[in-house]
Amino acid sequence: MAQPSTSVKKGEHVQHHFVDSDQQFEASKMGMWIFLVTEILFFGGLFLGYIVYRSWYPELYLMASEHLDVFWGAVNTVVLISSSLTVAMAIRSAQLNQQKGLIINLCITIALAFIFMVIKYFEYTEKFAVGIFPGGYYTYDGIAHDQANIFFSIYYMMTGLHGVHVLVGIGLMIWLVVRARKGHFHSEYYTPVEITGLYWHLVDIIWIFLFPLLYLID
Amino acid sequence: MSGHHISSAKFLWGVGIALLILTFLTVAVTWINIPEPWNVVVAVAIAVVKSTIVAAFFMHLWWDTKFNVLLLFMSIIFFMILVGLTLLDALYRTDPIPSF
Repeated sequence: MAQPSTSVKKGEHVQHHFVDSDQQFEASKMGMWIFLVTEILFFGGLFLGYIVYRSWYPELYLMASEHLDVFWGAVNTVVLISSSLTVAMAIRSAQLNQQKGLIINLCITIALAFIFMVIKYFEYTEKFAVGIFPGGYYTYDGIAHDQANIFFSIYYMMTGLHGVHVLVGIGLMIWLVVRARKGHFHSEYYTPVEITGLYWHLVDIIWIFLFPLLYLID
Repeated sequence: MSGHHISSAKFLWGVGIALLILTFLTVAVTWINIPEPWNVVVAVAIAVVKSTIVAAFFMHLWWDTKFNVLLLFMSIIFFMILVGLTLLDALYRTDPIPSF
Protein backbone atom coordinates (compact mmCIF):
# COMPACT_ATOMS: atom_id res chain seq x y z
CA MET A 1 0.00 0.00 0.00
CA ALA A 2 2.04 2.91 -1.21
CA GLN A 3 1.35 6.25 0.39
CA PRO A 4 0.35 9.00 -2.00
CA SER A 5 3.59 10.87 -2.42
CA THR A 6 1.94 14.20 -3.01
CA SER A 7 0.12 14.43 0.36
CA VAL A 8 2.84 16.19 2.37
CA LYS A 9 5.59 18.28 0.95
CA LYS A 10 8.68 17.16 2.81
CA GLY A 11 11.95 18.95 3.25
CA GLU A 12 15.11 17.18 2.17
CA HIS A 13 16.15 16.50 5.75
CA VAL A 14 12.91 14.73 6.75
CA GLN A 15 13.35 10.97 6.93
CA HIS A 16 10.65 8.79 5.44
CA HIS A 17 9.28 7.50 8.75
CA PHE A 18 8.32 10.96 10.00
CA VAL A 19 5.17 12.82 9.04
CA ASP A 20 6.86 16.19 8.83
CA SER A 21 9.83 18.25 9.93
CA ASP A 22 8.24 19.26 13.25
CA GLN A 23 7.50 15.69 14.27
CA GLN A 24 11.08 14.68 13.45
CA PHE A 25 12.41 17.60 15.47
CA GLU A 26 10.19 16.79 18.47
CA ALA A 27 11.20 13.12 18.36
CA SER A 28 14.91 13.98 18.31
CA LYS A 29 14.51 16.40 21.17
CA MET A 30 12.59 13.90 23.30
CA GLY A 31 15.27 11.29 22.62
CA MET A 32 17.89 13.76 23.80
CA TRP A 33 15.92 14.46 26.98
CA ILE A 34 15.78 10.74 27.72
CA PHE A 35 19.56 10.63 27.29
CA LEU A 36 19.87 13.62 29.65
CA VAL A 37 17.79 11.70 32.23
CA THR A 38 20.40 8.92 32.13
CA GLU A 39 23.13 11.56 32.47
CA ILE A 40 21.46 13.08 35.54
CA LEU A 41 21.26 9.64 37.17
CA PHE A 42 24.84 8.88 36.09
CA PHE A 43 26.14 11.99 37.88
CA GLY A 44 23.48 11.38 40.56
CA GLY A 45 25.40 8.32 41.75
CA LEU A 46 28.50 10.48 42.28
CA PHE A 47 26.48 13.17 44.05
CA LEU A 48 25.13 10.41 46.29
CA GLY A 49 28.70 9.33 47.12
CA TYR A 50 29.45 12.95 47.93
CA ILE A 51 26.40 13.20 50.23
CA VAL A 52 27.08 9.94 52.08
CA TYR A 53 30.73 10.78 52.77
CA ARG A 54 29.86 14.34 53.72
CA SER A 55 27.38 12.98 56.30
CA TRP A 56 30.16 10.73 57.67
CA TYR A 57 33.06 13.22 57.56
CA PRO A 58 31.63 16.78 57.69
CA GLU A 59 34.88 18.13 59.23
CA LEU A 60 36.98 16.60 56.43
CA TYR A 61 34.99 18.47 53.76
CA LEU A 62 35.53 21.74 55.63
CA MET A 63 39.29 21.20 55.89
CA ALA A 64 39.89 19.80 52.41
CA SER A 65 37.84 22.30 50.42
CA GLU A 66 40.14 25.06 51.65
CA HIS A 67 42.73 23.52 49.33
CA LEU A 68 40.53 24.29 46.32
CA ASP A 69 40.91 27.77 44.84
CA VAL A 70 37.54 29.56 45.03
CA PHE A 71 38.77 32.23 42.61
CA TRP A 72 39.49 29.81 39.74
CA GLY A 73 36.34 27.83 40.51
CA ALA A 74 34.31 31.04 40.23
CA VAL A 75 36.10 32.01 37.00
CA ASN A 76 35.26 28.61 35.53
CA THR A 77 31.62 29.06 36.56
CA VAL A 78 31.51 32.38 34.71
CA VAL A 79 33.22 30.77 31.70
CA LEU A 80 30.67 27.93 31.53
CA ILE A 81 27.65 30.20 32.00
CA SER A 82 28.97 32.47 29.24
CA SER A 83 29.38 29.43 26.99
CA SER A 84 25.77 28.43 27.70
CA LEU A 85 24.74 31.91 26.61
CA THR A 86 26.72 31.63 23.35
CA VAL A 87 25.17 28.22 22.63
CA ALA A 88 21.71 29.70 23.15
CA MET A 89 22.70 32.54 20.79
CA ALA A 90 23.98 29.95 18.26
CA ILE A 91 20.58 28.22 18.29
CA ARG A 92 18.87 31.57 17.80
CA SER A 93 21.18 32.31 14.84
CA ALA A 94 20.32 28.94 13.27
CA GLN A 95 16.60 29.60 13.76
CA LEU A 96 16.99 32.94 11.98
CA ASN A 97 19.13 31.56 9.11
CA GLN A 98 22.11 33.61 10.29
CA GLN A 99 24.91 31.39 9.04
CA LYS A 100 27.71 33.67 10.18
CA GLY A 101 26.26 34.25 13.65
CA LEU A 102 25.84 30.49 14.11
CA ILE A 103 29.49 29.77 13.28
CA ILE A 104 30.83 32.68 15.35
CA ASN A 105 28.77 31.71 18.41
CA LEU A 106 29.83 28.07 18.13
CA CYS A 107 33.49 29.12 17.85
CA ILE A 108 33.23 31.34 20.95
CA THR A 109 31.67 28.40 22.79
CA ILE A 110 34.54 26.11 21.77
CA ALA A 111 37.05 28.75 22.90
CA LEU A 112 35.31 29.11 26.28
CA ALA A 113 35.23 25.32 26.71
CA PHE A 114 39.00 25.24 26.06
CA ILE A 115 39.54 28.03 28.61
CA PHE A 116 37.59 25.93 31.13
CA MET A 117 39.79 22.89 30.47
CA VAL A 118 43.03 24.91 30.63
CA ILE A 119 42.04 26.32 34.05
CA LYS A 120 41.11 22.80 35.18
CA TYR A 121 44.51 21.56 33.93
CA PHE A 122 46.35 24.14 36.04
CA GLU A 123 44.20 23.33 39.08
CA TYR A 124 44.98 19.62 38.72
CA THR A 125 48.73 20.01 38.14
CA GLU A 126 49.00 22.36 41.13
CA LYS A 127 47.52 19.60 43.32
CA PHE A 128 49.54 16.80 41.74
CA ALA A 129 52.70 18.81 42.49
CA VAL A 130 52.12 18.54 46.25
CA GLY A 131 50.99 14.92 46.13
CA ILE A 132 47.24 15.40 46.16
CA PHE A 133 46.30 12.37 44.08
CA PRO A 134 43.09 10.36 44.24
CA GLY A 135 42.72 7.25 46.40
CA GLY A 136 45.80 5.25 47.39
CA TYR A 137 48.21 7.54 45.52
CA TYR A 138 47.50 10.39 47.92
CA THR A 139 50.74 11.49 49.63
CA TYR A 140 50.01 15.06 50.78
CA ASP A 141 50.33 15.55 54.56
CA GLY A 142 48.98 19.11 54.86
CA ILE A 143 45.49 18.04 55.96
CA ALA A 144 45.21 16.63 59.47
CA HIS A 145 42.66 13.96 58.68
CA ASP A 146 43.13 10.21 58.17
CA GLN A 147 40.65 10.07 55.31
CA ALA A 148 41.77 13.23 53.49
CA ASN A 149 42.21 11.20 50.29
CA ILE A 150 38.45 10.49 50.22
CA PHE A 151 37.50 14.10 49.57
CA PHE A 152 39.98 14.33 46.72
CA SER A 153 38.91 11.00 45.22
CA ILE A 154 35.40 12.42 45.08
CA TYR A 155 36.73 15.75 43.76
CA TYR A 156 38.75 14.12 40.97
CA MET A 157 35.97 11.70 40.04
CA MET A 158 33.26 14.37 39.82
CA THR A 159 35.28 17.13 38.15
CA GLY A 160 37.07 14.55 35.98
CA LEU A 161 33.84 13.06 34.65
CA HIS A 162 32.53 16.57 34.14
CA GLY A 163 35.73 17.46 32.29
CA VAL A 164 35.30 14.45 30.00
CA HIS A 165 31.82 15.76 29.21
CA VAL A 166 33.29 19.18 28.36
CA LEU A 167 35.78 17.49 25.99
CA VAL A 168 32.95 15.54 24.32
CA GLY A 169 31.06 18.85 24.04
CA ILE A 170 34.07 20.45 22.30
CA GLY A 171 34.13 17.55 19.83
CA LEU A 172 30.40 17.91 19.12
CA MET A 173 30.73 21.66 18.69
CA ILE A 174 33.60 21.27 16.19
CA TRP A 175 31.40 18.83 14.26
CA LEU A 176 28.61 21.44 14.28
CA VAL A 177 30.97 24.14 12.95
CA VAL A 178 32.07 21.83 10.11
CA ARG A 179 28.45 21.11 9.17
CA ALA A 180 27.40 24.75 9.59
CA ARG A 181 30.16 25.80 7.17
CA LYS A 182 28.74 23.38 4.63
CA GLY A 183 25.40 25.13 5.08
CA HIS A 184 23.59 22.15 6.56
CA PHE A 185 21.60 24.16 9.10
CA HIS A 186 18.74 26.57 8.50
CA SER A 187 15.50 27.65 10.14
CA GLU A 188 13.73 24.44 9.03
CA TYR A 189 16.50 22.09 10.16
CA TYR A 190 18.82 22.84 13.06
CA THR A 191 18.15 19.73 15.20
CA PRO A 192 21.85 18.87 15.84
CA VAL A 193 22.47 22.43 17.08
CA GLU A 194 19.43 22.25 19.37
CA ILE A 195 20.23 18.89 20.97
CA THR A 196 23.95 19.59 21.32
CA GLY A 197 22.82 22.78 23.05
CA LEU A 198 20.68 20.73 25.45
CA TYR A 199 23.71 18.56 26.24
CA TRP A 200 25.92 21.60 26.79
CA HIS A 201 23.41 23.25 29.13
CA LEU A 202 23.22 20.06 31.20
CA VAL A 203 27.02 20.05 31.53
CA ASP A 204 26.67 23.66 32.70
CA ILE A 205 23.99 22.71 35.25
CA ILE A 206 26.20 19.96 36.69
CA TRP A 207 29.01 22.48 37.18
CA ILE A 208 26.51 24.89 38.80
CA PHE A 209 26.09 22.24 41.52
CA LEU A 210 29.74 21.11 41.66
CA PHE A 211 31.09 24.61 42.24
CA PRO A 212 29.35 25.43 45.56
CA LEU A 213 29.46 21.83 46.78
CA LEU A 214 33.20 21.39 46.27
CA TYR A 215 34.75 24.87 46.43
CA LEU A 216 32.43 26.85 48.68
CA ILE A 217 32.23 24.75 51.84
CA ASP A 218 32.86 27.31 54.49
CA MET B 1 5.03 24.82 16.92
CA SER B 2 6.00 24.20 20.53
CA GLY B 3 9.61 23.40 19.68
CA HIS B 4 10.41 26.48 17.68
CA HIS B 5 10.27 29.33 20.10
CA ILE B 6 12.86 31.94 19.13
CA SER B 7 14.16 33.92 22.08
CA SER B 8 15.23 37.50 21.50
CA ALA B 9 18.93 38.28 21.92
CA LYS B 10 18.05 40.75 24.66
CA PHE B 11 16.18 38.06 26.59
CA LEU B 12 19.05 35.55 26.32
CA TRP B 13 21.54 38.17 27.53
CA GLY B 14 19.20 38.96 30.42
CA VAL B 15 19.13 35.29 31.41
CA GLY B 16 22.92 35.08 31.17
CA ILE B 17 23.40 38.18 33.31
CA ALA B 18 20.90 36.89 35.90
CA LEU B 19 22.95 33.68 36.12
CA LEU B 20 26.17 35.64 36.60
CA ILE B 21 24.56 37.71 39.38
CA LEU B 22 23.45 34.49 41.11
CA THR B 23 27.00 33.12 40.72
CA PHE B 24 28.30 36.20 42.49
CA LEU B 25 25.63 35.73 45.16
CA THR B 26 26.60 32.10 45.79
CA VAL B 27 30.20 33.22 46.43
CA ALA B 28 29.11 36.26 48.46
CA VAL B 29 27.01 34.25 50.92
CA THR B 30 30.16 32.43 52.02
CA TRP B 31 31.62 35.76 53.19
CA ILE B 32 28.95 36.03 55.86
CA ASN B 33 29.10 33.04 58.16
CA ILE B 34 25.80 31.21 57.96
CA PRO B 35 25.69 28.45 60.60
CA GLU B 36 25.57 24.76 59.69
CA PRO B 37 23.49 23.28 58.08
CA TRP B 38 21.97 26.43 56.60
CA ASN B 39 25.07 27.32 54.58
CA VAL B 40 24.58 24.10 52.58
CA VAL B 41 20.85 24.78 52.23
CA VAL B 42 21.51 28.28 50.89
CA ALA B 43 24.24 27.07 48.49
CA VAL B 44 22.06 24.28 47.09
CA ALA B 45 19.01 26.57 46.91
CA ILE B 46 20.90 29.09 44.77
CA ALA B 47 22.20 26.25 42.57
CA VAL B 48 18.62 24.96 42.14
CA VAL B 49 17.39 28.44 41.14
CA LYS B 50 20.25 28.76 38.62
CA SER B 51 19.58 25.31 37.16
CA THR B 52 15.87 26.04 36.89
CA ILE B 53 16.65 29.21 34.95
CA VAL B 54 19.00 27.32 32.60
CA ALA B 55 16.50 24.47 32.08
CA ALA B 56 13.49 26.77 31.59
CA PHE B 57 14.99 29.38 29.25
CA PHE B 58 18.27 28.12 27.73
CA MET B 59 16.94 24.57 27.34
CA HIS B 60 13.55 25.95 26.17
CA LEU B 61 11.51 23.86 28.62
CA TRP B 62 9.30 26.89 29.28
CA TRP B 63 7.95 26.63 25.71
CA ASP B 64 8.47 22.89 25.27
CA THR B 65 6.05 19.98 25.47
CA LYS B 66 5.09 19.06 29.03
CA PHE B 67 6.40 15.54 28.41
CA ASN B 68 10.02 16.73 28.34
CA VAL B 69 9.42 18.63 31.59
CA LEU B 70 7.99 15.43 33.03
CA LEU B 71 11.14 13.51 31.99
CA LEU B 72 13.31 15.99 33.87
CA PHE B 73 11.12 15.83 36.97
CA MET B 74 11.13 12.03 36.91
CA SER B 75 14.93 11.97 36.86
CA ILE B 76 15.02 14.30 39.86
CA ILE B 77 12.43 12.23 41.74
CA PHE B 78 14.35 9.00 41.11
CA PHE B 79 17.60 10.67 42.20
CA MET B 80 15.89 11.69 45.45
CA ILE B 81 14.62 8.13 46.00
CA LEU B 82 18.21 6.91 45.51
CA VAL B 83 19.56 9.44 48.02
CA GLY B 84 16.72 8.89 50.50
CA LEU B 85 16.96 5.11 50.61
CA THR B 86 20.75 5.16 50.81
CA LEU B 87 20.79 7.68 53.66
CA LEU B 88 18.34 5.51 55.61
CA ASP B 89 21.25 3.07 55.74
CA ALA B 90 24.24 5.43 55.89
CA LEU B 91 22.90 7.73 58.62
CA TYR B 92 21.46 5.09 60.93
CA ARG B 93 24.19 2.47 61.08
CA THR B 94 25.12 1.02 64.43
CA ASP B 95 28.39 -0.23 62.94
CA PRO B 96 31.27 2.18 62.90
CA ILE B 97 31.92 4.12 59.72
CA PRO B 98 34.09 2.07 57.34
CA SER B 99 37.73 3.01 57.04
CA PHE B 100 37.44 3.77 53.31
